[in-house]
Amino acid sequence: MSTPTATYTCPYCRMPSEGSGGTCPHCGAPVDVRERVSDSGWAEQPPIRDMARIHFSRSTCQIIGKYVPVAEMNLHDDDWVYFSHHVLLHTDPQVRLDTMRMAGGWNRRLAGMPLIMMTARGPGHIAFSADHPGETLAVPLQHNQAVDVVEHRFLVATGNVTYQWENSGVWFSTQKGDEQEYHYPLGQTMDRYWAQGGPGLLLLHAPGNTFIRDLAPGERILIQPSGLIWKDPSVRMTLHFEYPHGAYWFNSARWQAKSVWLSLHGPGRVAIQSVFERPEMVGQVLRYSSATTQVW
Amino acid sequence: MDRIECQWCKAQNEPDRTSCFTCGAPLDKKNLVSDSGWAEAPRLRDMTEFRFSNSTCQIEGELVPVAELALAQGDAVFFEHHVMLWKEPNVPMSAMNTGGGMKRMMGGMPHVLSIAHGPGRIAFSRDAAGEVVVLPLHPSMELDVREHAFLAGTHSLNYSFVRIKGLANVLHGGEGMYLDRFVTQNEPGLLLLHGYGNVFQKTLQPGEKILIEPGGFLYKDSSVTMNTVKQSMKTGLMGSHNMYLAEMTGPGRVGIQSMYVHHGSE
Repeated sequence: MSTPTATYTCPYCRMPSEGSGGTCPHCGAPVDVRERVSDSGWAEQPPIRDMARIHFSRSTCQIIGKYVPVAEMNLHDDDWVYFSHHVLLHTDPQVRLDTMRMAGGWNRRLAGMPLIMMTARGPGHIAFSADHPGETLAVPLQHNQAVDVVEHRFLVATGNVTYQWENSGVWFSTQKGDEQEYHYPLGQTMDRYWAQGGPGLLLLHAPGNTFIRDLAPGERILIQPSGLIWKDPSVRMTLHFEYPHGAYWFNSARWQAKSVWLSLHGPGRVAIQSVFERPEMVGQVLRYSSATTQVW
Repeated sequence: MDRIECQWCKAQNEPDRTSCFTCGAPLDKKNLVSDSGWAEAPRLRDMTEFRFSNSTCQIEGELVPVAELALAQGDAVFFEHHVMLWKEPNVPMSAMNTGGGMKRMMGGMPHVLSIAHGPGRIAFSRDAAGEVVVLPLHPSMELDVREHAFLAGTHSLNYSFVRIKGLANVLHGGEGMYLDRFVTQNEPGLLLLHGYGNVFQKTLQPGEKILIEPGGFLYKDSSVTMNTVKQSMKTGLMGSHNMYLAEMTGPGRVGIQSMYVHHGSE
């Protein structure tokens, strides 16, 4: 979308626009509200207003609803999007639906990820929604810009956003009886979305509320692994284990009480959600990916 | 002064009202309609009160709203017993035998609906975030509702259940085997539904079609026909993938919910 008279830069998606019309045309964030930033530097991503429109290519996306928002797209004849089939809510009969082949089928099945994606080509309306209360996040990507997204957060992306998935590289193993059990706090894989041949749009759905933070080079923050939504590829991830100090009448108490953190290392943006899974109560850690340990 | 017409239920309201007296919809807010014509169900303000027969209903809360009814003498409502949140001890109760025992058992539907009679107070809620959808039904209306989606109906409604026609529709439709059918005869009635997530309604013109995810279906006028259509898609080495969508054909209203359980693919 051309922005010849851009005078406003959205603090959430960093895209320039005229700043008129009440919402950012690239990500739907309201432009007329004060930015809410916590003392520690987390910026609260304001929910996209009901009925707000986001423009991409020659199409529009309207976000409707509040608790489980629906992303309703009006696709132009030249535009297409892809999505996982279970997020499709309704479609005009004339929208052309097809499948998109995914490489690495067996590994995707092992990781609990959909084996195929679907494509929808305009013209016509098509709508998507997730299956839990939360916020729809619009992440506009400039040409050659990429973001890494935790699995199962993806809603829909424009056709020019390349999708790759790779091992998350964050894991540890514990002893269970005679066997080693492997744990993947972020999931086995992580998705990378990369805009090519022009700007693209990525829509995600995150349970609860969303917060964004810019990490400076070398800055480090610990988060609950299942709280991560997306990050810039420049942000590095490692594990961090914390154990309580002292003696216990049975040794496993220390392992049960440990905290497993995801350590994020700047520079770059990270986004987290306020809803996260209760951490597993697991035993002594035997092997792990790159990690640090602290006893407190 | 002119009376205000409710955009949701079309009732005529006194000029000084801020919410509709028959469905509770805010009268001072514009109806929200998406570009493709889906209207958001009115988001009822916390503590909104509206009337039916000689009784009142108050909607409390927003994330998982509660419908609290103050039943007058002579009024009654029916409901599935597990949606009852609380009631006054002296509210008289009775049971409605729905008939079709084996069919309902096969369909996973309760054999007995509970009836609460006035006078007294009783409250209902469901088990997940969503919206209470208030549907005042004028005389001679028929509405089909996804099973387990209705919260309560007033005594003037005739309740029955209809089998979804066509084996493919039952197996692949995702709506279950039956739809609850609510019919009004000579007097109006009130139906309360709980939709998961947000609820949207579209009025289809005669012959107009829309494809929806079966799990998202919530209700329809009985004049709307529903068929399951298969979308076959080739997936290279893995063969083909079938996806089933509900094709709704007008005329009439269709209601959908934005949070659902997906059933329809193999």
